[in-house]
Amino acid sequence: MTQQVEQRNLTSALEDYLETIYQLLQEQPIARVRDIAKARDVKAGSVSPALKRLADMGLVKYLRREYVTLTPEGEEQARRVYSRHRVLTRFFESILKMPSEEAERDACAMEHCLSDEGMDRLVRLIEFLGACTSCAPDFLDRFHRCPLMNDDAPPCPDECDSMWGSTISDSGGPMSIFDLTPGDHARVSQVNARGAIRQRLLDMGILPQAKVELERVAPAGEPVWIKLDGTQLALRRQEAEAVLVDMPT
Amino acid sequence: MSQLRLPIPEVTIRTIRVALAGNPNSGKTSIFNSLTGAHQHVGNYPGVTVEKRWGGFTAKGTDFNVQDLPGTYSLTSFSPEERIAQNELLDGGHDVVVVVVDSMSLKRSLVLLAQVMQTGANPVLCLNMSDEAERTGLRLDLGQMRKLLGIPIVQTVGHRGIGVDRLVDAVHAAADSPVRRPRLVLGERMEKAIGAIRGHMEPMHGAAGGRDWVATKLMMGEEEFVQRMQGVEGDWGGAAIEEAQRQRKWIESSTGQDVALFVTERYFGFVDGLLREVVREVPRKDARAVSDAVDKILVHRALGLPIFAALMYLIFWVTFTLGAIPMDWIDAGFGWLGEAITGFWPEGSESPLESLLVDGVIGGVGGVIIFLPNILLLFIGLALLEDTGYMARAAFLMDRIMHRFGLHGKSFVPMMTGFGCSIPGIMATRTLENERDRLTTMLVLPLMSCGARLPIWMLLIPAFFAPVWRAPVLWLIYAFGIALALVLALVLRRSVLKGEDAPFVMELPPYRVPTARAVLMKMGERSWLYLRKAGTIILGISILMWAATAYPSRAEYDVDAQIASGAITLSDEEIENARTAEDLRFSIAGRVGRTIEPLIAPLGFDWKMGTAMIGAFAAKEVFVAQMGIVYAMGETDEESQGLRETLARDYSPLTGVSLMLFLLISSPCMATLAVTRREAGSWRWAWLQFGGLTAVAYLISLVVYQVGSLLI
Ligand SMILES: Nc1nc2c(ncn2[C@@H]2O[C@H](COP(=O)(O)OP(=O)(O)OP(=O)(O)O)[C@@H](O)[C@H]2O)c(=O)[nH]1
Ligand SMILES: [Mg+2]
Repeated sequence: MTQQVEQRNLTSALEDYLETIYQLLQEQPIARVRDIAKARDVKAGSVSPALKRLADMGLVKYLRREYVTLTPEGEEQARRVYSRHRVLTRFFESILKMPSEEAERDACAMEHCLSDEGMDRLVRLIEFLGACTSCAPDFLDRFHRCPLMNDDAPPCPDECDSMWGSTISDSGGPMSIFDLTPGDHARVSQVNARGAIRQRLLDMGILPQAKVELERVAPAGEPVWIKLDGTQLALRRQEAEAVLVDMPT
Repeated sequence: MSQLRLPIPEVTIRTIRVALAGNPNSGKTSIFNSLTGAHQHVGNYPGVTVEKRWGGFTAKGTDFNVQDLPGTYSLTSFSPEERIAQNELLDGGHDVVVVVVDSMSLKRSLVLLAQVMQTGANPVLCLNMSDEAERTGLRLDLGQMRKLLGIPIVQTVGHRGIGVDRLVDAVHAAADSPVRRPRLVLGERMEKAIGAIRGHMEPMHGAAGGRDWVATKLMMGEEEFVQRMQGVEGDWGGAAIEEAQRQRKWIESSTGQDVALFVTERYFGFVDGLLREVVREVPRKDARAVSDAVDKILVHRALGLPIFAALMYLIFWVTFTLGAIPMDWIDAGFGWLGEAITGFWPEGSESPLESLLVDGVIGGVGGVIIFLPNILLLFIGLALLEDTGYMARAAFLMDRIMHRFGLHGKSFVPMMTGFGCSIPGIMATRTLENERDRLTTMLVLPLMSCGARLPIWMLLIPAFFAPVWRAPVLWLIYAFGIALALVLALVLRRSVLKGEDAPFVMELPPYRVPTARAVLMKMGERSWLYLRKAGTIILGISILMWAATAYPSRAEYDVDAQIASGAITLSDEEIENARTAEDLRFSIAGRVGRTIEPLIAPLGFDWKMGTAMIGAFAAKEVFVAQMGIVYAMGETDEESQGLRETLARDYSPLTGVSLMLFLLISSPCMATLAVTRREAGSWRWAWLQFGGLTAVAYLISLVVYQVGSLLI
């Protein structure tokens, strides 16, 4: 419990100091205030109050005036912050292919605000993306060539099943049956449902290129009622959203 | 070895096994009924039939064994009732499979035909609803269609039995000529893939055509078929699985589509090609124009739900007011009969046989039978909802509300069926794909006030409510049942039956005008069932109840002792009344009733109601019968009052309300429990249903009666 309180009290500026000290201590046995100020690009005068607070928290120990080192707890905290920083930098730089300066800056901003759980999962994803070549050999390559990522890319022939349905980018994103208003005619472009319900929709004739018309919606806004090939079907919101359509312009 | 050999009779008659397959609501059961003369349930919404049923008839010197199956959209498993049909079609060993299709939605229906052809079955195509097709001007070149498909094709009008004789001819001919049917070719890529997989399947037994089906399913990675292949002797099964995976990858990478979409598109492509060749004239008229116009009103966004509530109200109003007229006649008839029987015995005799006939049989069974007209009217109402197609609309309108309470729009159809009887309602839950939805619906379904409880309402409501209130109160009982079912469903879904929501995809058929024959048939069937129940189980229990109420009787009465000792003085009539009351309390029923009385007294019930409730566990109508018996036995004066008047005299309206609530909610009847056990798969659920509902009923009645007593 106390540990959590301490962590919360550790502001991002203090975390940055810890990180800097940690980095300095990788190269030399002790850290001098002057070096810290230099690394952080601040005046030596503003370093001392920060160090004093870190010392009060028991994270930093003064060996002499001007010379500090990390206590065991301090070292642990610092290592945590530092490894976050490294992972995030790598993520922005080598996976999202951002310039290294921007990557560094975004990593600095992000490392303080993620929860341990969120960070842990992100780290696993990053490791998977970077290392797991057996599941997805040219996966990253394809990602950067995909129209989702690359605005100049030609339209992709593959039918992508977005795991978010159409909800992740609902402005300007693809339209689903659920977005139609009564009387609208449209043509099915993708069926994003999975598993048994996907097969059911396909069996009902909801296939790419099929023409559908939205007839009406139920009193509470769902289910929706569609016409398709002389038959009429009711779909709940979730199913209707899984069927993407193109509207004739 | 010398054994006695019995001469085996020459079998000249052969048997042809026929299955009726097709999309839901394509008219399979109508055709089945026309073929076999059966009266299986038909209705204008998908998912009426949920069980396989055999029927038979003889024609052309041949026995036909026909199997009606639940409807299915494709041969890929989904809901439990579809699985029944699929298993039967894949492994049923039928000589002929009649694929019944709705001529108005050929595209989707013929996909099923394509799949049946792939399984290597011997299909006959039955183009049903040809009357509707003709009316809209759709014309097909049947000759061309037969040539292209290589199978017999017959046009029918299922519910009128038109074309059914030709169907019999076609089935007979098809069974006799197992010609080599052309293989279904689904395009080049698919052919290559199937060919490659089939290459490994040479050792497989069975029809060569079926291999195409197995190969397709292996490619789609369907668990069941993969397991089947893993189970074969030799290593060719594994090789086939591997090949199927290779083909799947190849198809997916070369087309950019997943295999499910690819294969389904092939089927639809095949049907499109076929239809291009055989459709001579496309429909001139919109087949559903009228139906759509009606829907504009009935499922109107704002008016839909109020109209639904009003329709339900109309049904109860008719049940009540129209039903009252013939009810009075029947009542008078029984009154006359009772007097006629009494006439055989001398005035003032105490013959047990007279009491059995007049008090037990007429008081009990007669008391149930007089409600036959109400039952009939209720069932006409339900039959109209089913046969017109409104049922599917009700499910559409109610889905959102049902969803809020963790149920499914489709659950509403079994619930409406439950207004007739809980048993078919519980069976109808098979149309729900998700096991948890199914269990939840099943468990709360007895809260739908069934036809057997209608006599109870017909007895109690007029006893306690003024005429203007009667129909609204009846409506309220039903509405309260639905509301409580929803609340309990929510509780179940939040506790023992937690889980994901199931998808909701439902077809809405066009409205159809119900045939008088169909409605009369349903009515006739219901009246027969009701009368049969009255003549068997209710009669039996009435006699038991009569005996329990009549015996043992006292030899000496306390009143007489008190009068003799001079403690009280009473008129003759009062003495007679007191003696009868003592007899009743002394009888078995009286003792049992008084044992449980302390338990039910807080709800406002006395021991008479208690014994009637025990009887009601066997069949709900017995409640009415037993009340009739107890009061008939209690009657002493010649001018007998009606049972209702007696009830109104003896109990307060508050007791009436508490009683009605208890009877609505508490323990479902024995038959319902047995069906729940069977459909849910374990007694656990049946006991939960029994215990849970009874406990809730007790609580609600307790609160209503106690709070009510404080207020009044
Ligand atoms: N107009 C017309 N209506 C028909 C015909 N055949 C059946 N019907 C009606 O269509 C509806 C469905 O018929 P059913 O026989 O219950 O259909 P089913 O295929 O058994 O349906 P499920 O059991 O739900 O799969 C009923 O209302 C029938 O009266 C027909 O040839 N023409
Ligand atoms: Mg049927």
